[in-house]
Amino acid sequence: MARPVFGRASVTHLDRDRGLVEAARRDRQQFDALYRRYLAQVYNLAFYELSDHHAAEDATERTFLAALANLHRFEERARPADGEGASTFRVWLFRIARNMIANERREKRNHPAVAIEAAGTVPGTTNVEGGAVARDEAAAAWRAVAKLPADRRRAVVLRFVEEMSTAEIAGILGKSEGAVRVLIHRALKSLGRELEPKQ
Amino acid sequence: MTFPGRDPDVDALRTDRYLDSLLAAADRRAHDVPADAAIDEPLRRTAARLRRDLVRVHPSFRFEERLAARLAHEAAASQLAPAAGAEGSVAAIPITLDDEPAEEEGFRPLLIGGALTSAALSIAGAAYVAWRRARPSRLSRARAARQRDRSTAARAR
Repeated sequence: MARPVFGRASVTHLDRDRGLVEAARRDRQQFDALYRRYLAQVYNLAFYELSDHHAAEDATERTFLAALANLHRFEERARPADGEGASTFRVWLFRIARNMIANERREKRNHPAVAIEAAGTVPGTTNVEGGAVARDEAAAAWRAVAKLPADRRRAVVLRFVEEMSTAEIAGILGKSEGAVRVLIHRALKSLGRELEPKQ
Repeated sequence: MTFPGRDPDVDALRTDRYLDSLLAAADRRAHDVPADAAIDEPLRRTAARLRRDLVRVHPSFRFEERLAARLAHEAAASQLAPAAGAEGSVAAIPITLDDEPAEEEGFRPLLIGGALTSAALSIAGAAYVAWRRARPSRLSRARAARQRDRSTAARAR
């Protein structure tokens, strides 16, 4: 969806979440729709970053409370380059999440928790032996991702788990799209070295 | 493997396009997609593996509903706050009452511009009743009512 903007040659794209954001600004109870839409995504990022369900829940809770309290500060900035269906609200929300997760990580550093629980989260299968292999492989992938430097790890999680575009990831991480592409490319190369069977 | 002389930005761009098509293919339930021949085979395998193994995790239903309730509560509280007076202002307006001393009763706070909530009205009402009981009115009708009460009580004795 797009609308012409007078006085400019370009076309400004509407934010996919514009309707929900405007409804939530009029009546804050309507924030629930935005919450339901993005809860799982925010929680996913928090869980991959913090490797702990309770810490992920804390970070998710703080993220949505901060978003609700600061909704009046959100400015829609969708650009044509963001493509159809882009959501600058999602980028804004994930920037809050990134900060909350960073705070949670700092707290966790003082109180170290258990390792990532990947094995328990891989979807089940009727083939028990195959399921165990799948879980081992998934756990290995999670461990390899967890070992990446912070920016590469976030970029990989946002790209593969949240399936975000490079433009969205750039907005969340505060980097250029080119920098994000290079981050992901380098991350894939180092993950390949980690995950490929040794010759 | 990056060959000497290859531009890393171009490689990154090729990888990015490959990932776009790989992630889109997952929506179509396709296992793989045609790729630029310049993309390394190990990199393609790694991307496919991450696509498969980095699964989404959903928070518990209990957590979801608890946080939804908390957000609803916060939303209600933040909507009530301005209604209770944040959007209005308390101004002192001099009012001289006909039969009460001006030095005691000259200024009464009024809420202007803000919506009065039922809670604010209840508090103001309770305060007014308490104040009124402590200070009987000197208005002529009130004096007559008190006089009638006193004489009724005397007759009863």
